[in-house]
Amino acid sequence: MEWVRCFTRNRWAWALVLPPLLFFLAFFVGPLLYLFFVSLHVESQTELYGSRLTLDNYLRVAGDPFYLLIIRRTLTAGLAVSGLSLLIGYPVALTMVRMPASRRSVFLMVLLFPLMVSNVIRAYGWIAILGRRGVVNNLLRDGGLIQAPLPLLYSVETVVVGLLTILLPYMIICLVNALLTVDRTLEEAAQALGAGPLRTFLHVTLPLSTPGIASGLLLVFLLTLSAYVTVQLLGGPQSKMLVGLVYDAVMTFIWPRAAALAFILLGISLGVTTLMLKGLRPQRVQGQG
Amino acid sequence: MTGAFAEADVALRGVTKSFGPVVAVDDLTLEIPRGIFLSLLGPSGCGKTTTLRLIAGFEQPSQGDIFIRGQRVNLVPAYRRDFSMVFQNFALFPHMTVANNVAFGLRMRRLPRDEREARVRETLALVHLAGFEDRYPRQLSGGQQQRVALARAIVVRPAVLLLDEPLGSLDRKLREEMQVELRQLQQEIGITTVFVTHDQEEALTLSDRVAIMNGGKIEQIATPRELYERPATDFVANFLGVSNIFDGRVAGRDGEDALITIGPIQVRVPWEAGLEMGGPIRVAVRPEKIRLGPHDEKEGLPARVRHVIYLGATTHFYLEGPEGQSLVVHVQNISPDTAPWTPGDEVSCHLEPKSVFVLRKG
Repeated sequence: MEWVRCFTRNRWAWALVLPPLLFFLAFFVGPLLYLFFVSLHVESQTELYGSRLTLDNYLRVAGDPFYLLIIRRTLTAGLAVSGLSLLIGYPVALTMVRMPASRRSVFLMVLLFPLMVSNVIRAYGWIAILGRRGVVNNLLRDGGLIQAPLPLLYSVETVVVGLLTILLPYMIICLVNALLTVDRTLEEAAQALGAGPLRTFLHVTLPLSTPGIASGLLLVFLLTLSAYVTVQLLGGPQSKMLVGLVYDAVMTFIWPRAAALAFILLGISLGVTTLMLKGLRPQRVQGQG
Repeated sequence: MTGAFAEADVALRGVTKSFGPVVAVDDLTLEIPRGIFLSLLGPSGCGKTTTLRLIAGFEQPSQGDIFIRGQRVNLVPAYRRDFSMVFQNFALFPHMTVANNVAFGLRMRRLPRDEREARVRETLALVHLAGFEDRYPRQLSGGQQQRVALARAIVVRPAVLLLDEPLGSLDRKLREEMQVELRQLQQEIGITTVFVTHDQEEALTLSDRVAIMNGGKIEQIATPRELYERPATDFVANFLGVSNIFDGRVAGRDGEDALITIGPIQVRVPWEAGLEMGGPIRVAVRPEKIRLGPHDEKEGLPARVRHVIYLGATTHFYLEGPEGQSLVVHVQNISPDTAPWTPGDEVSCHLEPKSVFVLRKG
């Protein structure tokens, strides 16, 4: 508890921390607790929530195949996007780390460039490519390969591809930062001990980059879970996810259910985060278990 | 090709390495016999680390051949060469325990588990680290980390052990302890060792042979004693300790000896091929091998005292010679009135016979 002693000893540290702490308590922790309180009440036609306490909002989700399907779909999409971005991003990050620093910064700029375009615009871009009269269908039809246009839009797969293009840069940046901290002499040490390129990677480079893998996976997973615009535009009504359900509940003024769904989403996020950190153990890079 | 280097564990023949326009290693030829502890000693940028990395295979030679145990290894990647290495920063794997660090090389060689564990235990005992198996590198002190690095390198029993300034990051006391341990260990297991350092004392303490490098070339390779007593070039003479250098002339030959005149005096050095009668020659002598006498003493080189530094056991005299050259003389203070001279005094310098050495042009 070193930091506690640091604060008791230094009043100035408190003075610096206090404003953001208060802001955070007032505008995040407070509303969150209130939201939890709301989620434990029955619905009401006239008020924000009814007066009776209940667990129904949670139990209904657990017992309803529709909600369970949406939860499973949300989890699958999150894991698919984060897993695929790791697989695609790792070789890119590895290549970038081996570049001279000047060329690496150019690459980083190119990588960040798509992030400067709004998600909405990019989703419409995908619609222009994948729609019934989109680029792909037109090409296939002109080539005589298909008669009727293929239904490429409005599926979970399309959502995954769309989110991948948005979230891949986050993953690559996390991985590049982690790989840059891996001491190259460790790789030489492995080679000196007889490890070829593949085994050097598996035993040294990969485990030492786990902090980057963990932060990349978490970032991409959590951003996927909370994505709305891309899911809505590329998934259509058939491929709804949890955030979409929260939105629908809010739009129909069923506040307690919206709150319960939000907390289920939060629970999934926390659960998967814990599992990932347990599995990857990024702290072992520092030689701590 | 194998015959020529059968005795040598490592051999370099005409090896050149350039990085763009910079020549780091320049036409280097070197043989390291089995079991020898060789130091590559030189100022930074002299090519000693590059030479080590060429042997390891982390750098590819621009020209020339490298042999390990008689096999030409130019095209063999580092991980298939029979060597191991201790790095300057130790390069211990931070995510592995001490035991796993040491076992790494054995695992890569696919040794069966029980044999692997036995060898790890044995080697950790050898470096006095029994009981530290389950620690992580960052839980160890610098000296302990260094021992783990050493254990990890020797456990695979390589043909040659490469050490890249492994003691550089330790504090002085620990460094001296580790020097002794390293030397004992090397002699115990009789492993051919190449040690890169810029610390002269360390090189002299540890090595069977020292190669002094400068500008990508080896200036001289010899035993520590030979290097100090008979440096071959100006560079070696000045890099290892201080030397007084004189320009003289070959005056004659007397049997095995050459007679050299330096100003008013004459000295004898062993005759060697290449000396020309009447030709110019550079000779040198160590500061402790000049005796000072009163200025009227015969057969001495006259000089004037510029500075005197009294150091207890010895006194250092900085003198100006007859042609204006500066000389350094170290005098042992055997009695309270030894060498009583002060700045401005005239003295005569007597070069100890046998201590004068000829310098090649270097």
